Amino acid sequence: MTDTGYSELPIYPARDLSYDFLGLHFENPFILAAAPSTDNIEMVRRAFSMGWAGAILKTTSVEGTRVDLAYPMMSSYDYEGKNIFGLGNIDLISEHHIDRIEANVRQLKKEFPQRLVAASIMAGRKEDWQSLVRRLENAGVDFIECSFSCPQGNIGEDPGKMLAQSVSATELTARWVKEAAERVPVSIKITPHVTDIVEVARAVKQSGADAITASNSIQALMGVDIRTFVPYPQLDGMSTYSGLTGPAIKPITLRTIAEIARNVDIPILGTGGVSNWHDAVEFMAVGAGVVEFCTAVMHHGFRIIDDLRSGMSHYRDEMGFSSVLDIVGKALPHITVHENLRRRKVQSRIDESKCIGCEVCYLACRDGGHMAINRGENRIPVVSEDWCVGCSLCKLVCPVDGCIAMTIHHG
Amino acid sequence: MMLANAMLTEQQARTEAERCLFCFDAPCIHACPAHIDIPTFIGMVRSGNTRGAAEVVKTSNLLANTCGKVCPEDVFCQSACSRGKVDTSISIRELHLYATQQEAARGYSPLAPFPVRGDASAAPKRVAVIGGGPAGLSCAFELAKLGYRCDLFDPAGAGGVPKKTIPSFRLSLRELRTDVDFLSPHLSLKEEAVDVQGFDRLREEYNALFLGVGLGLDKRLRISGEGLKGVYPVLEFLEAAKSGELSAKIGRQVVVVGGGNVSLDAAATARRLGADEVVLIYRRGEAEMKVWRSELEEARRQGVEIRFLTSPLEIIGDDFVCGIRCRRTRLSDERDVSGRRIPVEVEGSDFVMPADTIVVAIGEEIKSDFVRSLGVTRKGFLMVDERYRTALPGVFAGGDVISGEGTIVQAVAHGKAAARSIHHFLSGKTSRIQ
Repeated sequence: MTDTGYSELPIYPARDLSYDFLGLHFENPFILAAAPSTDNIEMVRRAFSMGWAGAILKTTSVEGTRVDLAYPMMSSYDYEGKNIFGLGNIDLISEHHIDRIEANVRQLKKEFPQRLVAASIMAGRKEDWQSLVRRLENAGVDFIECSFSCPQGNIGEDPGKMLAQSVSATELTARWVKEAAERVPVSIKITPHVTDIVEVARAVKQSGADAITASNSIQALMGVDIRTFVPYPQLDGMSTYSGLTGPAIKPITLRTIAEIARNVDIPILGTGGVSNWHDAVEFMAVGAGVVEFCTAVMHHGFRIIDDLRSGMSHYRDEMGFSSVLDIVGKALPHITVHENLRRRKVQSRIDESKCIGCEVCYLACRDGGHMAINRGENRIPVVSEDWCVGCSLCKLVCPVDGCIAMTIHHG
Repeated sequence: MMLANAMLTEQQARTEAERCLFCFDAPCIHACPAHIDIPTFIGMVRSGNTRGAAEVVKTSNLLANTCGKVCPEDVFCQSACSRGKVDTSISIRELHLYATQQEAARGYSPLAPFPVRGDASAAPKRVAVIGGGPAGLSCAFELAKLGYRCDLFDPAGAGGVPKKTIPSFRLSLRELRTDVDFLSPHLSLKEEAVDVQGFDRLREEYNALFLGVGLGLDKRLRISGEGLKGVYPVLEFLEAAKSGELSAKIGRQVVVVGGGNVSLDAAATARRLGADEVVLIYRRGEAEMKVWRSELEEARRQGVEIRFLTSPLEIIGDDFVCGIRCRRTRLSDERDVSGRRIPVEVEGSDFVMPADTIVVAIGEEIKSDFVRSLGVTRKGFLMVDERYRTALPGVFAGGDVISGEGTIVQAVAHGKAAARSIHHFLSGKTSRIQ
């Protein structure tokens, strides 16, 4: 049933995307990240009934933890006509403490035994971390994610520093959590805001934790009102830094996941900037075993699961994969360090039949490249073989699909 | 983006899809008679999942390629598009066509096996669908989805009006064949005409009947000279044009009488067949024309001249037509049942237009006497209730026969709704699909 109230008899077979990961059975690789979308049981119910494989309930804490929210909380990074290219938030953890989350876990598992109900936790003291884990296990949670990286709430060893920015604190705290978890897997959610992500990932692995969630939002200043000089979001003439999510951060997350996967043997839950099945394939290709969604759902609703499942199953079939797990890590053999890249003479080739004569490539090369494109007859640019170094800027600025290609130069 | 039936490139499709606002409870879905889940399929085009997009379209509208080509989007989905209130509506029909033609080119997604209804002890319920046009095809396919096996009766095979009379410059037989090929495994086609005796026999043999027989009989002007050579009823004209047998016989000066979409099709067809001059005469004004603006623009682009406020009096000629005597009209302040101002003739304004071909396109009526005998509305269409039931128990109807010359997508919608009503009738249950 769509949100318009019409429904159709299906004519296409239900497509099975299920697989096992982290010792759990996923109906598909799409789950909801700990976020506003998972903070209300009614919302999670709706997501499950629409086909999401699992949900990580918004980060909870022990009773008595003060959660002092400030509004407005969100701001958008709009780029060239698109709103929410990036979404900024100054949200904190859930206002619901563990007692409420225990009840939600019990209720959701009763109603949706096939779906994965996970919970995200954050604490300060060892006994609080461990109490949260034990209570969630008793409530029947499927796995636990530990927020070591909320950009606003800093319950780490140093004020103003995220837990996952300290290698030693990460390993110690992860060890406490893992100690308490007798039955369910534990994943540590880290931040890309570190000098060496591999070092952090090794600490997580060392602690015995089962997985890494990579990665949390990026600290950002969302923009400044140039008349009042108050940045966004604006709260009574003041602002603060936001956690940036959405399409804008996808390349950062891809690198974070890839770097962990290339160096540390640990399962990865990918999150941060994934908008559709195509992005999800990329996340999995660099090493994620499952993909968490947040901003895309906040923008377009739980209904995006229809395209996620449909697009992923068609992709899997077209590629001849038997399971989506076949995608995991497929890109990793193609990533290396800069000095290992093969040096070849690359040249730009313009397909004259496709060229529309905008001369945008000419301009970009003249002022930002190597002055290797000359103006030609009928506005068709001509690449100088002597001057072109193959940087590919022309191809990137070209507005026509497939008009400019980079080719290996022989000769 | 107006590209008038040139298929979008991948880049154009993606760029257009990225403009969609993905409304909740989207107005375009309500405005589409087949209720295609438009934001979902557009989201799939945007993400590069064109196969999924085609599946969404076809789940709601089985004549997907045909409607992708000829659906009057300015009347339906696109007229309701929220983006149109910001700048311009999304080119929904073109995205629909892009998705379905991509799928047709790459091979169809296999369908799920349809359910088989009934238990072994009881004889399976059978439904006869009379008429192989969009309404009949849609009804038969929806019944197949519900688990019924249908026999589809049409002496001309599957296709109906789109096959016979929609001009090939608007709809090539390729799109239609693509759709019919997709459907044909799910129904058994019997190329037989059904007359009144046949109808009675089918009522005994089948548990339910659906009439999607269309109209099929040209209305006559009932003025002198209508029997002259060179005067064509529009259906005959369009069929002959589509089959190619008319191309040599079209005159130099063509007058088309009428004011609906079919008359515009005829006028544009006459131009394409090589007539030097094509004039459409209509007794009311442009505002009163019941046409899609896109068709009117197309006819004008083809060089058709339209004379409003002109009423035909007499067709002139000996054996062959040589002209038509007309009278100017003016619009009175009185309005007819449709709410349009009534034209009155202006005495002393008669004039003669020379013509060697005249096409009479003033509407159609029900051709078959036995269908008419089931009861007709004031406008002369077959009477049905809100569940598409005729006065005869177990006999249902939809498409042009109940509503006049409509659109393909409306006929598809009738067929779907009637199938669900037939299921209700046969099972005593309301389909879970409303």
